[in-house]
Amino acid sequence: MARGMVKKTFLTPLGKDNPVFVQILGICSTLAVTNKLANTMVMVLGVMFTTALSSWTISLFRKQIPSRIRMMVETLVIATYVIIVDIILKAYNPEIWKQLGPYVGLIITNCIVMGRVEAFALQNKPTLSLIDGLASGMGYGYVLLIIAFVRELLGSGTIWGYQVLGSWWTKWAIMVMPPGGFFMLAILIWVVHEGVMKEGKNG
Amino acid sequence: MKSQTFYTKRIKPLVFMAVVTIICIVLTSSLYLLTRERVAMNELFFMRRSILDAAGVEHSGDVEGVNSLYESVVKEVGEVYVVGGNTYVKLFKGPGLWGEITILVGFEEDLKTITGVSVFAQNETPGLGARIEEPWFSQQFRGKEGPFSLVEEGTAAAKSEMDAITGATRTSDAFKNIMNRAISESATLKGGQ
Repeated sequence: MARGMVKKTFLTPLGKDNPVFVQILGICSTLAVTNKLANTMVMVLGVMFTTALSSWTISLFRKQIPSRIRMMVETLVIATYVIIVDIILKAYNPEIWKQLGPYVGLIITNCIVMGRVEAFALQNKPTLSLIDGLASGMGYGYVLLIIAFVRELLGSGTIWGYQVLGSWWTKWAIMVMPPGGFFMLAILIWVVHEGVMKEGKNG
Repeated sequence: MKSQTFYTKRIKPLVFMAVVTIICIVLTSSLYLLTRERVAMNELFFMRRSILDAAGVEHSGDVEGVNSLYESVVKEVGEVYVVGGNTYVKLFKGPGLWGEITILVGFEEDLKTITGVSVFAQNETPGLGARIEEPWFSQQFRGKEGPFSLVEEGTAAAKSEMDAITGATRTSDAFKNIMNRAISESATLKGGQ
């Protein structure tokens, strides 16, 4: 396996083919969990774990899986990994598990996981698929963390639960609610497309 | 390309799917069984910690501390937890904005004065309604009597006033209703009901 290929596989989802900015995938969870940094971090780790391992698993058996039922197999594998995340959280970090509630289970329906399995893992070797899945999860993750940072700061005046803005700060309740996620995401996509990606297109 | 026989077209996908399903089920259920005791212990710990919080008893917050303290001071009489012989704690449930809110309310010997409130389970909006779990909110009930009416966040002073949460009117309202129901039922707590 060429080194260049590995590097490209790793960097593409972080930059010019970012799942959230460019493919606009995984939006539902972007809106739901990004009002607190700590919750977002756990969600991001869960998604990274799931995308990486389901891509790897599916890639491992890509030649054996009958193509007629491949989607069922993919869903089942993804669901299994998500349930593993859910059970482990429930047993070892119940405080966070309680706060995330149903969102961990909803990783199953995150389009990025299924998207990477379908678009990449079915055609590529296991190791490369693992890297692609991990990088996609990270590409999704850092966008979420940026959004969560702004939403928590403006909406609650805190960062990672610690008070940073004093009592003079009027909390923006809208930032904590789902519409705040829409606004932040749209602004971020706009900034990235206008500011960062335009140059790339022209050059 | 081999030809599509009956086997590759019909039987193989079925068998494959069945095998994958069995593997997935075995994996997840064994993990569930392995962690079952730990999960039950977590639940018990949360419950005991909430009961001590509602009774206004100081505790260390860690698992051993809470469990040993609980076992030495709490007596379970029917559905009521009697803490230290003179504080009565009971679980109350009611509808919130998104789902059920489960709280524990503690009363002093007179069955009127509230020793504390703790939220055991809730599904309110994170950052808004979910702030009912924050200490400032649950601690405001200590020493009050109710029945409560809502006032603006940070202004409750009288024994029958409670702070609402700004931006979470419906959750505050639901919480007030559960509190008031708890207060109307408090007189029967000594009988263990």
